[in-house]
Amino acid sequence: MTADSKPRTAQARGLDAGLDALPRGIEPERDLWPSIEARLEPRGERAGRRWFWPAAAAVLLVAGSSLVTAVLLHRDEPLVARQQSANGPVSYAAAAFGPGQTLDPTYAAAREELARTLSARIDRLPPGARRKLEQNLAELRRASAEINAALELSPGDPLLEELLLSTYQEELAVLASVNQLTGGNGAGPIDATRMQL
Amino acid sequence: MTIRNQPVRPLTAARTWVALALLAGPAALAGTPINERKAADPTGHVEVSNTAGSVEVTGWARGEIEVTGELGDGVERLEFSQSGKLTRIKVIMPNRSSRVESTDLVVKVPAGSSLFVNTVSADVRAQGVRGSQRLQSVSGDIGTEAAAEDVECKTVSGDVVVNGTGHRGLLNVTTVSGDATVSRVSGEVNGNTVSGNFTITAGATGRSRLRSTSGDLGLKGKLDADARIDFESISGDVRLDLAGPVGAEFEVSSFNGEIRNCFGPKPVRTSEYAPGTELRFREGQGTGRVRIKTLNGDISICNK
Repeated sequence: MTADSKPRTAQARGLDAGLDALPRGIEPERDLWPSIEARLEPRGERAGRRWFWPAAAAVLLVAGSSLVTAVLLHRDEPLVARQQSANGPVSYAAAAFGPGQTLDPTYAAAREELARTLSARIDRLPPGARRKLEQNLAELRRASAEINAALELSPGDPLLEELLLSTYQEELAVLASVNQLTGGNGAGPIDATRMQL
Repeated sequence: MTIRNQPVRPLTAARTWVALALLAGPAALAGTPINERKAADPTGHVEVSNTAGSVEVTGWARGEIEVTGELGDGVERLEFSQSGKLTRIKVIMPNRSSRVESTDLVVKVPAGSSLFVNTVSADVRAQGVRGSQRLQSVSGDIGTEAAAEDVECKTVSGDVVVNGTGHRGLLNVTTVSGDATVSRVSGEVNGNTVSGNFTITAGATGRSRLRSTSGDLGLKGKLDADARIDFESISGDVRLDLAGPVGAEFEVSSFNGEIRNCFGPKPVRTSEYAPGTELRFREGQGTGRVRIKTLNGDISICNK
């Protein structure tokens, strides 16, 4: 024991006495729970939300897989135009479901395969149509990026989640439509350089 | 009299070639006239494909298919074949050619036929066809009439115009950047576009689901008593101009867009701390349902 330990012990005893004198609990001036509860989501919605992302991922997985299958089935059809684009393949940003939400790896792989195959199909389009298509695919990607950014600010917002899901579905639908229009159109070989759009 | 053999002067030869070219030119540039016909099943299936130019299909009361028009210069040939109930009309392009002119096809089919038309840049027009229709083009415009059977129109950059005939049917329209206008279609209308504007006018709208990314969506006309309207847009505006008495329950929400409602109730903020407004109200009997959602697009609901 050191020389200055005695005064510290006395000080500690004083603090203990002061703490003992404090009340064991403080009652709020008013009942705060009703206002807190009002700001919370209903239990049913929270329970439902737990199913949202797995369900969304499942929907996209099914859609993506179906489209990839369709694309692969038509892969060997004659090309409408074999002119390679100077712009290179169409790039696709990695999809996300808002902050902290990761995509199912199977879905991500299916989407990547779809994007790779459709890059070749987009090359078959006449230049004018291809330009418009690329602009619109960029528009879809901007939209999904914007919704993801909004989800960073408002995590779990049901409107944003719904819009994001349908934007991804729309992107897949557009890619599928282009695949259909360029793959099995039956119009015979077309040289894009001769098209006036 | 002495006759001398004079050599043909170069200028004379050139004149001769010019004269021959002028005589032969119009025929060569005009393409090849088409005039073919075959007997056909009154409810058969007709497939038409063309690359550039136009395709015009008309339903008629005869049990035969007639193809007229003009085959573009450089086109290999026109296939006009039949197999059972299927008739195929196809412009065959050469495998390699530096220049191919556009082809215009005028096709008359039995009115009860179902129709499939596929083009790249050729415009498509159909009228009087009562069977199902599937019309698609990469950049050509599509115009048709919708009867009771299903109609599907699909383009990348071409515009789509569909006029109804008062019968209830299913209409699906998909464009990437093309605009779509649907008039007097009273059945179910489903539309998807990325940047095109989509407008439904002057019909008793039953079920309609429209979706756009940046294109505007619009509905002008009456709502069925049990209408189901579902519009969704990211940055495009949505405008409803409803005619006649309206009986529907409205559920409208936007994250950043402005909601304007002529029926009275005002939108409320969904959160004190984040953007977002929503509007829920019931007008009349409220048996119909209208659901609109946007991210940034403005929403306007009015009764005209």
